[in-house]
Amino acid sequence: MSAVRRFIGSPEGVIGALLLLVLAAIALLAPLLFPGDPLRIAGRPLLVPFADPAFPLGTDRLGRNVLAGLVHGARASLLVGIAAALVAVAIGAIIGTLAGFAGGLVDEALMRVVDAFQIVPGFLLALAFVSVAQPTLPVVIFAIALGAWTGPARLARAEVLSIRERDYVASARIIGMHPLEIALREVLPNAIPPVLALSAVIVAGAVLTEAALSFLGLGDPNIVTWGSMIAEGRSVLRSAPYLSIVPGLALVATVIGVYLFGEGLATMLARRDRA
Amino acid sequence: MALYSRRRVLQGAGLLLASTALPSWSFAQDTPSGGRLIVAADSEPRNLNPAIVASNGVFFISSKVIEALAEADFEAEGGVVPRLAVSWEGSEDGLSATFKLREGVVWHDGQPFTSADVAFSAIEVWKPLQNLGRIVFANLESVDTPDDLTAVFNFSKPTPFQLLRNALPVVTSVLPRHLYEGTDIAANPANAALVGTGPFKFAEYRPGEYYRLERNAEYWGEGQPRLDEIIYRVLPDRAAAAGALEAEEIHLAAFSAVPLADLARISQVPGIEVVSKGYEGLTYQLVVEINHRRAELANVEVRRAIAHAIDKQFVIDTIFLGYAKPATGLVPQNAPEFYNPDVPQYDFDVAKANELLDAAGYPRGANGVRFSLKLLPAPYFNETRQFGDYLRQALAEIGIDAQLVNNDSAAHQKAVYTDHDFDLAVAPPVFRGDPAISTTILLRSGTPAGVSFSNQGGYANAEIDALIDQAAETVDTEARTALYNTLQEKVAEDLPLINVAEWGFITVARTSVLNVGNNPRWAVSNWADVALEQ
Amino acid sequence: MNRALRLVGRRAISSIPVLLIVVVGTFFLLESASGDAVDAYLVSIGGGDAALVAQLRQSYGLDQSALSRLWLYLGSLLRFDLGWSVGFNRPIAGLILERLPNTLYLMGSATALSFVFGTLLGIVAGAKPGSLRDRVLSIGSLALYAVPSFWLGLVLSITFAVQLRWFPTSGIETIASGKEGLDRALDIARHLVLPVSALALIYLALFLRLMRAGMAEIWRLDFVRAARAKGLAPSRIVLRHVARNALLPVVTMLGLQAASMLGGSVVIESVFAIPGFGRLAQEAVGLRDAPLLMGIIVVSALLVICVNIVIDLIYVLLDPRVGASEVSS
Repeated sequence: MSAVRRFIGSPEGVIGALLLLVLAAIALLAPLLFPGDPLRIAGRPLLVPFADPAFPLGTDRLGRNVLAGLVHGARASLLVGIAAALVAVAIGAIIGTLAGFAGGLVDEALMRVVDAFQIVPGFLLALAFVSVAQPTLPVVIFAIALGAWTGPARLARAEVLSIRERDYVASARIIGMHPLEIALREVLPNAIPPVLALSAVIVAGAVLTEAALSFLGLGDPNIVTWGSMIAEGRSVLRSAPYLSIVPGLALVATVIGVYLFGEGLATMLARRDRA
Repeated sequence: MALYSRRRVLQGAGLLLASTALPSWSFAQDTPSGGRLIVAADSEPRNLNPAIVASNGVFFISSKVIEALAEADFEAEGGVVPRLAVSWEGSEDGLSATFKLREGVVWHDGQPFTSADVAFSAIEVWKPLQNLGRIVFANLESVDTPDDLTAVFNFSKPTPFQLLRNALPVVTSVLPRHLYEGTDIAANPANAALVGTGPFKFAEYRPGEYYRLERNAEYWGEGQPRLDEIIYRVLPDRAAAAGALEAEEIHLAAFSAVPLADLARISQVPGIEVVSKGYEGLTYQLVVEINHRRAELANVEVRRAIAHAIDKQFVIDTIFLGYAKPATGLVPQNAPEFYNPDVPQYDFDVAKANELLDAAGYPRGANGVRFSLKLLPAPYFNETRQFGDYLRQALAEIGIDAQLVNNDSAAHQKAVYTDHDFDLAVAPPVFRGDPAISTTILLRSGTPAGVSFSNQGGYANAEIDALIDQAAETVDTEARTALYNTLQEKVAEDLPLINVAEWGFITVARTSVLNVGNNPRWAVSNWADVALEQ
Repeated sequence: MNRALRLVGRRAISSIPVLLIVVVGTFFLLESASGDAVDAYLVSIGGGDAALVAQLRQSYGLDQSALSRLWLYLGSLLRFDLGWSVGFNRPIAGLILERLPNTLYLMGSATALSFVFGTLLGIVAGAKPGSLRDRVLSIGSLALYAVPSFWLGLVLSITFAVQLRWFPTSGIETIASGKEGLDRALDIARHLVLPVSALALIYLALFLRLMRAGMAEIWRLDFVRAARAKGLAPSRIVLRHVARNALLPVVTMLGLQAASMLGGSVVIESVFAIPGFGRLAQEAVGLRDAPLLMGIIVVSALLVICVNIVIDLIYVLLDPRVGASEVSS
């Protein structure tokens, strides 16, 4: 209960949470609001917004409904963001915990791998990975996660190092628990909260990375994302600017929402730590 | 301006009568000279030598420096006009062809151009090294040079002169023998710093930035070239070309570097014009390639149903914004010598397509889907990708679930032409003036895996193979054309692939550029007469 | 100084295995790609027959096994030879040296700008956490961060280059202008204004928010309270104590950002037609030019390592105890 109160204490966090709630609702209701394939050719191409009540936000170059794309795009874009963050955090948490707990040579080796991923520009890595493995949604998600897991890994390791000398871990060791079991049951859960706060930043970054990959033609063509809509719209940026502005605004709102939410979360955790 | 000869002026006048409708054409007596023309280039070819790499990306730059024996023309008989050759003749039996060469031509380094250069290029470069020359000159045995200005090509098997003539502009870029003989031709430094006989000399290349060509004062064409310099500015992003044109940083963007969707707007900008002429000799075809190894697609009724499901007019209007023509068959309308309009057509008819599929034994399942396919649109053009998006929707209407696979160029190449890992693919093959150059290879069975832009769909039809082989050795022009007419009928009937549209590219230029689009291969011709109003 | 030297040495040694991981990883990533350098080349020339394909594979060395090619590459790397680019048909070292300055100008100016303005605005925002000024600045910068970089780049280019014609639309310098010395430098600077702005505007938010968050933390610490109690001037507290201490994590961020900025430049270089590293890397992937991509990644990794060593040295200079000692004394 007090956690919620602490969270409400930060207005940014509340705004972020509200934004995200609205987006999540839209994303969940997408198949009900606009059943069928949002990429279906539904009307005359390049209808401007507010001209035809059937297409309140107009249509794109092939005559696809922009509003349907926007709503379904919320689904895909949030999915990319959240899934990429989950994958990144999962990989990072496991490797970081392992390194922190095992120590010695294992730690050294794993941290060199972390270094290696950290010095390679994340976007370059994503670009190379997606080009090589074909742009499907899971590949794009994994590629983005590849460039983002080092942060959570470092955090988890640091967290583990500070926790592992604490009493309950020592006692677990004394009662003969396997080191891996200790890592999974005792250390990992404690290391997770701060990693979660970091993951909001990853979600925001992932949504933007997906857009940039789409710009370079590396999106999944079977799925509509805001990134792919903006990328599509850029060739008519001068004559039909709404095609990239509408999904662009949605993207901005999402990134702001996620970021603020993450900040609220971080503030909440910081207060808890002090408390 | 009074310097120009009477002959030239008369020639100009004659042309003027024939072509009053063309944009911004002007002729010797009133053409300004001098100036630097800046052109957008969207790629930097790895090998700039047109005698080794006969492709439009290479020709766009190299054709100004290295010339071919002949060039395409709107008016001339047979569609080609002299360049380095002044006349040509094929023997009755198709076993030899004689070229008379132009007198007084010198290479950019001052050496004289002779028949030895042609013989060397043909035997050492075109036949063994060039991607298209390997097909056209497959049966070339030797080249005799009775004198400095005569080259006689000898073939081991009859080679139709019609094919040779149609291929001249593309496959006969002549290299200077004195720079290449006795060297590793593929690694010769002159492949990057070109040396030719053309109106412009290769001056400078700054990777990632620009190519610079300079006026060749010794050019054989009287009063040519008109320009002092041509600069190709590398602009990889498509939006960049339009912006640079409007900001007056460049004069011209060819090969649809300005996206089609932006043409309506940019044509309204004062000082800019949109020219669609000048690509008639490099027609691209929008084709659905079919993998006949898939049981469903091996059934001709299914292929016909797919053809009925495609609304060609929608493709023309929406994807090509009117800058294309619906295809009626294998050969484009731009090739009147071979074009046969009387072939079976498949009108846009979704109901009929559904009936055909029902009758073929592929009923819709519970979810309305008959079967699923893997669809690979070629990534080379915006339009091929967009057509992929459209085709997926068109197939959904007839109960075929097509999953798009988005590959980059290298992966697409491997997936379709080596691994055959596709059901349908969207390809943009080029019709190069004669079906035997790069079109029949799309149908002929027995091409080994790994050969790009060929029949890799596993299609094998003995009748069609026989027609192709026979036409390849038929010397008589009429008989050969008749064979290709039959071939077009058979292809339209059996649909080994589906031809959807035919398009040429668009040039967007500032109105100060004169003589844009005045021959059927304009963008890849020598631009000796292109001028800039100061 | 001894301490600094030891630090540099330790960093350099520990980066060797890291580089090795990067090289081998990159190699196998491209090796597992569908389609090789010959496939990419065939597309660009419009195809060729089977014999030509075989001949090309041989001349590219692709008929050898992956392991032997990797071994050869590592061997030449030990001799400081980056090898030959099959995609560009040129030595890789030359290619990289040609592009590196452009990317350094672009990334260097963008990082410097976003760092300076980000921290300054961060100080403005963080001087009074929770104020209207703070909220406007931090949400505004976030909105900029959330705009896809290619879109921002295109809009800047249309507005300031095409319509207002204040700056050139693209390129790194006026082509074939023959400019030298200062003229040339000014010319390059003019060309860089828009791409640098696009990148800097995007990364501004990171520094701003980090600075602001750091300051918000430090306001609560004891020594600041002590400083206040001592009656030091508010501006002096903000700058000398709060901001100075909050700067540390921002400087760390600078190091982490170096790698991501290099990645972000791929898109901006393509929009503004700047022949830099990002574009080269993109082309290397498209051409399946593994040695080139490895060369680019090795050099950018070295860059990132150098930046981080410099940052570590700066860290020594910015030791937080300096600020705290003034209070305790």
